[in-house]
Amino acid sequence: MNPIVITMFLVIVGITLVVTYFAAKKTNTTSEFYTAGGGLTGWQNGLAIAGDYLSAASFLGIAGAIALYGFDGFLFSIGYLVAYLVVLFIVAEPLRNLGKYTLADMINSRFNAKKVRAGAAISSITIVIFYMIAQLVGAGALIQLLFDIPYWIAVLLVGIMMTIYVLFGGMTATSWVQIIKAVLLMTGTVIISFLVLMEFNFNILEMFTFMKTATPHGADYLNPGVKYKMPLDTLSLMIALVLGTAGLPHILMRFFTVRDAKTARSSVMWATWIVGIFYVMTIFLGFGAAAFVGQDLIVSTNPAGNMAAPLLAQALGGDLLMSFVSAVAFATILAVVAGLVLSGASAFAHDIYGQIIKKGKATDREQMLAARYASLGVAVFSIILALFAQSLNVAFLVSLAFCIAASANLPVIIYTIFWNKFNTTGAISSMVTGLVSAIVLVSISPSVMNPVEGVAIITGNPIFPLTNPALVSVPLGFIGGWLGTLLSKEANELKYAEVKVKANTGGFRQL
Amino acid sequence: MVEKIASRPKTRKARAELPDLPNYKAIEESQNFKALMKKKKRFLIPSTILFLGLYILFPLIISYTNVLNSSFIGDISWSWVYALGLFVMTWILVTIYMKKAAEFDGMATETLKEFNYKEEENL
Repeated sequence: MNPIVITMFLVIVGITLVVTYFAAKKTNTTSEFYTAGGGLTGWQNGLAIAGDYLSAASFLGIAGAIALYGFDGFLFSIGYLVAYLVVLFIVAEPLRNLGKYTLADMINSRFNAKKVRAGAAISSITIVIFYMIAQLVGAGALIQLLFDIPYWIAVLLVGIMMTIYVLFGGMTATSWVQIIKAVLLMTGTVIISFLVLMEFNFNILEMFTFMKTATPHGADYLNPGVKYKMPLDTLSLMIALVLGTAGLPHILMRFFTVRDAKTARSSVMWATWIVGIFYVMTIFLGFGAAAFVGQDLIVSTNPAGNMAAPLLAQALGGDLLMSFVSAVAFATILAVVAGLVLSGASAFAHDIYGQIIKKGKATDREQMLAARYASLGVAVFSIILALFAQSLNVAFLVSLAFCIAASANLPVIIYTIFWNKFNTTGAISSMVTGLVSAIVLVSISPSVMNPVEGVAIITGNPIFPLTNPALVSVPLGFIGGWLGTLLSKEANELKYAEVKVKANTGGFRQL
Repeated sequence: MVEKIASRPKTRKARAELPDLPNYKAIEESQNFKALMKKKKRFLIPSTILFLGLYILFPLIISYTNVLNSSFIGDISWSWVYALGLFVMTWILVTIYMKKAAEFDGMATETLKEFNYKEEENL
């Protein structure tokens, strides 16, 4: 390993530990642990949301996908960005106005039923675990390449760091690690984009013309269809991306870290600009990698293309830039998994322990202890799973997480806010149908069943044709909620009036 | 569980004696709140249909037709223009929403004021 890489790496680890040290002093109550006391400003939270969103999958993954598949690699970016409109228009403010720490709080502001809370907590935990395994396995493989260390050490390293941030610094440390990382990531991306554009004399047209002949795909590289050849599969994936974001627990949790709905809204605005500008730059990263590193080298280093951005940094800026980008990639992984641990822990400790088992009567000290144990539990559990999952192809778990979020969480969020007849039975049937259909359909899909041995977990012909089942499972989630509501006679107009008033005015918040 | 319909007691003393139950039904039926909901719907429903529609249309067009493969300028095809158009659409809608939301905030404050709600007495 070269000394610059080690230095950069130690600097990043050092900075984040200093942040954690100061955050730990400010983390004494449950509210401070889960939400940084609600004290983040709009731009801070916006950067942190952007940070949560710009995971290694989108930084390294999209740059790699564009490098290998051209236009099709860019499709993801569009889905990820437009998703913010769903978050902003439908979810962010009602969630802020109705909830305290978790998604289950918000749904339960209408139903106050243990079953509903348990349902919401279970779907959150499922999403967090799947997302986390994908991140940790990806992180292990990546750090193994970046720093040339064994997989298990890489996973343990990431695991220990994320546990330290969350355990001691709670949401304050996690948020500031996200903010620092988002700034570093943007800086790195701007520098590489600038260097790529310089090679093309800052002429975008020249760049596109060059790309026509730069890859084995020829002119097709610049058109859709290189990677995604099944129309319904593409559509299904796009639906999961745009609707799933608004149901991801670690993104939703961010809206509790600000003072009010107005700040929640402005943080989405910040995030939209940062993420959007970032995704535009992924085009330069991807094209640059295809042009100056070459697809052969990218694939031979990592078949999924994840090393495209670091290799490009090496080609254009030498060891120094390569080391910087690697260190940023490492920080990215750390920050995202820390956020995931925190959202998983809140579902366990706040929803299941605090509200269901202790019926909301636990003291703040007990809740805080539970939150820390839950964080440790979630962290250790995911590290163990990640160590065993090394040889499995787990990339599909990220899109599965989006799919569950879109099928199990979003329908119930929308019904809770907008439908006066929605009731407890409907809430449960919606979550169960969405969650079960997403998991079952994925487990019989080409992601899990592939006739070629070794490609997927099970060898055999897939029973369900779509790689991502959102096209089917999202409507099922909505239908489940609708049928459940109609089949049960229960209705509470007064409670809905309360939810409607609270969600839309921001008044009468439960503190 | 049915909540008692009662108007909110005006004085601090009266409030201390009665369990604090804001009359949500009355707020929901008030002119101010109805106007707020109407204004919100008039903006949110059409714009959500618009952005989701344009978004869903994109994979359908590029999967089933080649119309976007023709050149916009030089070697940049219409697919890129559509894709970046969705980016620009997102930014524009976010900006418009921020302006609209400020109006919604004002109307929400009016509604709450009518029912003597004050920020610091959050329940």
